[in-house]
Amino acid sequence: MIELKLVSFAYVSEDVIRDVNLVFSPGVTAVVGPNGSGKTTLLKLAAVIYRPRVGEVLIDGVNPWSMSEKARASVRRDVVYVHEKPIMLRGSVADNVAYGLRVRNVPADEVVVKIEEALEALGIKHLAHEKAQTLSVGQQQKVALARALAVRPRNLLLDEPTANLDKSGRENFMELVKELRRKGVCIAVATHDRLLAMELMDRLVLVENRTTKFIKNP
Amino acid sequence: MKMRWVAIALAVIVAVSILFLFIYRREHYEGTLRITTTTSLYATGILDKLAEEFKQRHPNVSIQFIAVGSGEALRRAAQGDAEIVLSHAPNLEKQYLDDGTLKPGKIFAYNYFIIVGPGDDPAGIAGMDPVNAMAAIYAAGENGKAVFVSRADNSGTYARELVLWSLAGVNPLGKSWYLELGADMAQTLMVANEKEAYTLSDISTYLKFSSRLGELKSLVDKGDMLINVYSVYVVNPAKIIGVNEGLAETFVEFILSEEGQKIIDSYGITEFGKPLFKAAKGDLTGELKNAWENLAKFG
Amino acid sequence: MWQEIAEVVTRSILISGTATLFAAFWSVPIAMMLTAKDSKFRVALLDVTNTLVGVPTVLVGLVLYLLFSRSGPLGFLGILYTPTSIVIGEAVLITPIIISLSALVLRETKAKVWEMAVSIGATERQASVTMVAESLPRLLMAILLGFNRAIGELGVALMLGGNIKGFTRVMTTAIALEVSKGEFELALTLGGILLLVTFTITAIVGKVGKVR
Repeated sequence: MIELKLVSFAYVSEDVIRDVNLVFSPGVTAVVGPNGSGKTTLLKLAAVIYRPRVGEVLIDGVNPWSMSEKARASVRRDVVYVHEKPIMLRGSVADNVAYGLRVRNVPADEVVVKIEEALEALGIKHLAHEKAQTLSVGQQQKVALARALAVRPRNLLLDEPTANLDKSGRENFMELVKELRRKGVCIAVATHDRLLAMELMDRLVLVENRTTKFIKNP
Repeated sequence: MKMRWVAIALAVIVAVSILFLFIYRREHYEGTLRITTTTSLYATGILDKLAEEFKQRHPNVSIQFIAVGSGEALRRAAQGDAEIVLSHAPNLEKQYLDDGTLKPGKIFAYNYFIIVGPGDDPAGIAGMDPVNAMAAIYAAGENGKAVFVSRADNSGTYARELVLWSLAGVNPLGKSWYLELGADMAQTLMVANEKEAYTLSDISTYLKFSSRLGELKSLVDKGDMLINVYSVYVVNPAKIIGVNEGLAETFVEFILSEEGQKIIDSYGITEFGKPLFKAAKGDLTGELKNAWENLAKFG
Repeated sequence: MWQEIAEVVTRSILISGTATLFAAFWSVPIAMMLTAKDSKFRVALLDVTNTLVGVPTVLVGLVLYLLFSRSGPLGFLGILYTPTSIVIGEAVLITPIIISLSALVLRETKAKVWEMAVSIGATERQASVTMVAESLPRLLMAILLGFNRAIGELGVALMLGGNIKGFTRVMTTAIALEVSKGEFELALTLGGILLLVTFTITAIVGKVGKVR
């Protein structure tokens, strides 16, 4: 669970997010709003990537920004954010999917199994040995999702996850999210895709004019 | 992963440094003699020839020439960055002798400066006395008929050019036909060639370049004021610490020796059909010394 | 003659290579430091560095010459007119260009890779390592550009090295000398070799950078 308490944030001097109170609880929260309204900023604040100018972000009740860097990193491991534009490291698809596991010092044999599972879930097992940076954006997006799933986060923040997926990719994605929801994962999805939002969401956050409107039963 | 890169980087640096040290050491066996010299002298190749002969007698010595303009050569030596200076600018040398930075030197070679200009010679200086020739160039320049390019740097040639202008009683500085380059002799000659201009040159550089200087002819090559005396000086160890005086004196002795003088007298015959320098051979008549004294007066 | 040319070429590569290694050794960490956080001070420092990229080589040579001259403050080291002084001069000369280009590369990877790494659970240290590893091919290129500037520069090598035959003569000073001697053909040959050498090294580094 991620809570934002009276959070404001500015890149330079002007707030792009102001006085936001919000809870991402287990299940799917759809984050919608016009382009440039601050959806991505909001997710990155929730993911402990950006530090709020004022206010608090609580991950399962604790405030990572009041901790040491080391402690914060361990809290952060419960939250995974997936960029709208997939960011691929050099090396193979398998290397990319393994990254989150390697930084957690997961034993090598376990890594192999988890990579396999994640690739399987996204239907990209055949790409395992391809160079990630040479893939199409759609394929890269799947790799990025696989990389996120491989670490089994309790909180998953997805930024336009279906933007580059085709129809079957999109359906597969929805199945995945539904399964994660059953497992009690706390999921936030920023999206322009109304149908996707309608089908998946348990609640809705509308981002507009630097602040948010929380709608419990859409 | 990070450690591995640091280790690789360190290994490479250490390896290269060792290699370097080896190369550096190889050059530094017994004694190093550092000589600042005027560029025109070095560019002829005569110094490498002399050093080669010297090394046959003293194989453990490393001789390093640093070729710059005469003024710069003197200044660098005075700063303690060399033990010997080879220069051809008496009036510049004088001040370093006066303040004791350089020990009294010897004239080891001489030749003549020449005034070169376009073949059609608009100022009509061919065969003139050098001082009158400069005056004629000035007059032609003022009438818009001639151009003069000047080294305008810290060189012995430029020092001589200024002496000639002042003897002619004219001052071309700032005139539109007087181009101050700030370049070495080779470039100055090339500019003179392109602009069909007059300039003062040492004979050796002119001969080396003559095949590229289609338009440029040697017009004035006689006259006392064109004598170009090359002197060798040892930096005074009493003034500058760290001078390898013994080795320096040995090299100077070699240049002035019969063998050294013979090399100077014959250098360039095979290439140009005539020697580039005349050996001073002890200056028995004192003629060169007089010329030097005469030139040194022009502060 | 060819043996002498080979020696000059080897010396050039060794001197500029060593200078580049040293420069990279401190420039890349400095670039990392400058791009680690956005503060006004760091941005200002980066602006200064960017300006210094265009510093005339003769100016660097002159300042160090005055420093290393026997009558200068570091004269006691006795390194003027040795390969060591050229190495130092060139390292100083190319430091701004390597910092500047590395900072450019790192800033771009930081915006992407660093954020991704942190969000997937890397500690800041792990993220920094990943960031550098990801930037490596392009950092290598930045360093290589430094090397190319070092091997192609004349001012420092002439002022600090003195163009001493068999000792501090490198390709650029040899070319300058041959031009002043009127040996244009030889100068052009040397120039061609210089370009060939830089091209070959650039190609090799580019290839290595891609494979890794």
